[in-house]
Amino acid sequence: MSTALKIKEEEEEDLAEELAEYEKVANHVKITQRDLEQDGFSNNPFFHGIIAEVPEQHRTKEGYTKIGYALYFYTYSSWTGRAIYMQDLYVMPEFRGKGVGKALMSKVAQLALAAGCHQLNFTVVDWNKPSMDFYLSQGCFDVTATMGYHCMRCEGEALEHLAQP
Amino acid sequence: MTSGGHCWTTNDIIPLLFQELAKYEEMEHQVTLTEKELLEDGFGDTPFYHCIITEIQGQNSSEDPKVVGFAMYYFTYDPWVGKQLYLEEFYVMDEYRGLGIGSGILRHLSNLAMKTRCTGMMFVVAENNEPSVQFYKRRGAEDLSQEEGWRLFRFDKDSLVKMAAPSEE
Repeated sequence: MSTALKIKEEEEEDLAEELAEYEKVANHVKITQRDLEQDGFSNNPFFHGIIAEVPEQHRTKEGYTKIGYALYFYTYSSWTGRAIYMQDLYVMPEFRGKGVGKALMSKVAQLALAAGCHQLNFTVVDWNKPSMDFYLSQGCFDVTATMGYHCMRCEGEALEHLAQP
Repeated sequence: MTSGGHCWTTNDIIPLLFQELAKYEEMEHQVTLTEKELLEDGFGDTPFYHCIITEIQGQNSSEDPKVVGFAMYYFTYDPWVGKQLYLEEFYVMDEYRGLGIGSGILRHLSNLAMKTRCTGMMFVVAENNEPSVQFYKRRGAEDLSQEEGWRLFRFDKDSLVKMAAPSEE
């Protein structure tokens, strides 16, 4: 399985290109690409994606060959500098336990190092024990447990209230 | 000293403020980022973060304004709820607390979040930092770790290198 598995990077530009090809609007592609290139990391709310793909003969019964993905974006620590945040990691249930998750994370790690990042951060919910065990086995540590860091959010009415004079 | 302040960007005192914040959090020994990297990453061609500062005007108009607070943020994305403004650092100098400066910074950032169509403002707080925890909870912040079991996990540089190495299968 590991030799047949392909991990591809999917950038916004590639997605835009694929879409445009499908819709046969070549000029639109150029404009879209240029807009995306002008966005700096900080202004760009988009994330990057990588896809795990299997050959046709391994496709799911519904016909999918894209059987896993990871979404990430760049963040920053004032102590250690550039970092990557992995927002999502997903492998279809029938393809779990075959090293697909590891392969995706390995690619994210390579991309992180290539971009000069010193850390890879992500969150796991504490009731998801299989995921927690998997991640810990890969060599990460639980920042919330060891350093007492809590993730917090202001949203909806609370955010609107904060914004008022 | 006036109690009002205003926020704008600068790159002159950012490294000094970060140093002071690291001291406050007793994490100076963990800072590996150089001043050069910090300035290049924030104010070079591809900014990884933004900063705002609050200055207080002195009694005399001839005095330089004094920087008394700052915040460092960037944008993140949650496919479920959309764009977020992530508050990475937020600090008001000790002797200037309790004057509404922190609230002013948060107000500026919340406005910015709403203007840029973020659905939330996110940040991390150390659970033993009682004053900060209360400061945020009073303003309606949800503790996602406590309420929804969110745990922040991290791969540091060494473990990243190990993970990036091709596997022998």
